[in-house]
Parts: sequence; C-alpha cells; structure tokens
Amino acid sequence: METAALRGGTLASERIGVRTPPDAADVQLAAAGDQAAFERLYHAHVARVHSLARRMIGGDDADEATQDVFVRAWEKLGTFRGEAAFGTWLHRLAINVILGRRQSRARRWERTVEGDSLVEALPSRRNHLELHMDFETAIGRLPNGAREVFVLHDVEGFKHKEIADMLGVTTGTTKAQLHRARMALRRHVDR
Amino acid sequence: MSDTWTGRLSEYLDEELSVPEQRALEEHLDECVACRKALEELRLVADRAAALQDSPPAEDLWTGIAHRMNTAQPEHRRGARRRVSFSLPQLAAAGLALMLIGAGGAWVALSPGTQGTAVVAERSALPGEGSAAVAVARLDYDDAVAQLQGIIEERRAELDSVTVRVIEENLAAIDRAIDEARDALAADPANGYLSQHLAATMRRKVDLLRRAATTASATS
Repeated sequence: METAALRGGTLASERIGVRTPPDAADVQLAAAGDQAAFERLYHAHVARVHSLARRMIGGDDADEATQDVFVRAWEKLGTFRGEAAFGTWLHRLAINVILGRRQSRARRWERTVEGDSLVEALPSRRNHLELHMDFETAIGRLPNGAREVFVLHDVEGFKHKEIADMLGVTTGTTKAQLHRARMALRRHVDR
Repeated sequence: MSDTWTGRLSEYLDEELSVPEQRALEEHLDECVACRKALEELRLVADRAAALQDSPPAEDLWTGIAHRMNTAQPEHRRGARRRVSFSLPQLAAAGLALMLIGAGGAWVALSPGTQGTAVVAERSALPGEGSAAVAVARLDYDDAVAQLQGIIEERRAELDSVTVRVIEENLAAIDRAIDEARDALAADPANGYLSQHLAATMRRKVDLLRRAATTASATS
C-alpha cells in the first residue's frame, strides 16, 4: 500500500531518488495492444487512482471514475512518451478525467464554498461521534471545491499554482479554500 | 483569537507569507494561545492528510475495464488501423443469400421453428430442387446475417451513435416484420403473397446489414 505522502506532481519515489517499479516493459507491451500487460499496470496503480477518485468525488462515483481513467489511459497510451514515470502520467490523467466528470456534472464548486457554508456543512459541536469520525469520511463531507483543493494540496502534494491552473481559479481562492477545509477538519484529527 | 491572523495560519504553515508578514504573525503567536492552538491543529490536519494510505476498490474493476477496452480503440493506433472490408466469401454469401431468398426464400418460413442447420433436415424431406435451394438459401442467409452482424459489431465503436441507433431501429423493425410474416405464413402456408413478402423482408435485412457493414468499414 503506497503512502499518500509526497505525491503530487511527481511520485514520492522519484522525489527521493528511488527507482520506480519497472512499469516500462508493460507500458511498451500495452501500447502495442497487450491487454495482459495493461492489466498488470492496472493492478499496480488501481489503489492510487481509486483513492484519488474516492477522495475527490466520493465513494459512490469512484468505481466508475476509476474505470474511466483506465479506459482513457488505454486509449491515450500512445501519447505517453516516457519523460515521466508512468504512474505520474497516469495520475495527471486521472485528475483530468475526475475533474472532467465534475465539470460534466456541473458541480460548480463556487456555489458551495462562500461564506460559512463549509463550517455549516460539518457539525458545529464536537462530540464523541465527531471525534471518532473517520478522517476520510470527514474529507468526503467537505463541500466540493474545498475538498478538491484540500485533496490536491495536502494529500496529493500539488502547489497552489498547479491547483489553480487545474481548477481555473486564482491562487487566492485555492488558499482560502484550503484554509477553510483544514479548519473544518481540525475536530476530526486524533490528538 | 485574532481574526486578522487566523485566516493566514495555513499560509504561515505552508511558508507562503512574505517575510514581514511571517514576522508579524510570529509576534502575534507569542501572545495568542488560541492562534497557537489553531496552528497546531492545522499542522495535525496537514500531517494526517499526507499520511493517508491508498487502498484498492472493494470490488475488482478490471472486468468492466477490459470489457470497455475491447470497444475502445487506442488513439495512436487509430491512424494505422487495418481497413476492414468484406472478404470475397462474405460478399458471395450475402449476394447468394439475396438471390436465393428472392428465388425461394419463402420456403424458409413454411416450417415452424426453422433455424440454421436444422433447416437442412427438414428441407431434405421436401420434394424437388426447390427444397434444396431453399435449404441452401436459409443457410446462406443465416451465415450472411451472422457475418455481417459480426462485422458491424466489430466496428460498432467507430460508428457514431446516431448511425448505430438508426441501424438498430431499422433492424428491429425488419425483425418484427419477419416475425409477423412467419406467423402469418404458419397460419396460411399457401399464401403466395405472404411468401413473397417474407422473402422481400429478409432481403431487406441482408441489404441493410450489408450497407451498415460497408459504412462501418468505410469509417475505419
């Protein structure tokens, strides 16, 4: 199971100079139409893609989004030039697909992130249930925009500028959303 | 807790404040217990997020992905796709079916439950050359339909959705007409008009499939 730490624009293993798993041969085979090779790539990366989807758009849609990502990857595999690791390429593709699904569903995050709506979306009083609420469940209860920024920044490790470009907003907006998300999640962290 | 600085705590945590802002906030933190506490909580949230573990889906999604991959075409291979066209046997089968159906296809419907090779045995009991021709026609018809449908199915993903819908709607209408004609002939086997009508309808189906397969091949 891969830790979520140090992800983002590059894989953790790349950042610390460790060789990534040998996807290259399977990528080459899959690009030539070898489905068995692509299945091996699927098994190597599905946890990361599914976790990203689950955190970004919720568990109900995560399975379908994950399938979309891998089908899209199969279709686009010929465009992968190998400059980055396959996992990094797949991760960016996954974000694009997931954000595309959000846009196609007209999930306009701006409508839910202004004012105190984020705070209102979570229980205002700390109680036993809240304290023991799973942290991931709490993330899932954040409004769409705050959740996306929080996942991309704090879980996936992207910078505000990168996130702003992905979402088509300003860095001021992403910083504000990140702070709101963190403030709302404070009560769901074990101390 | 200061409203002025509370909203900047995440930026401080992420080292995104300017040096003067950072110094000012640190001076505030020296005096504000609430902001120090909030800052520590924000740090815990960020650390907790970074330490989240990835987990696979509850159910294996590969089967669904593989199914969709079989209908998807990798983009880089689209330009180099083998152009699919009718083989000579396929064209011959379709043409022969059309001719024979026209000549004696009505016989096909005269026996209830006639499907595929079963027709041969039934037809062998019929007198004269006509029955043999009908048996061949029926086999060729089924074979032509199966082959043409196979081509269309193979190229289905490359046809636009409107074309697919039109083909499916027309095929469904023709199949209904064939069923109705067969039912009518079963009730009135000597009716020449119904025989011709059935034969014409079957020809329409082969013709439609042939044109659809041609369209599919042309788009590949």
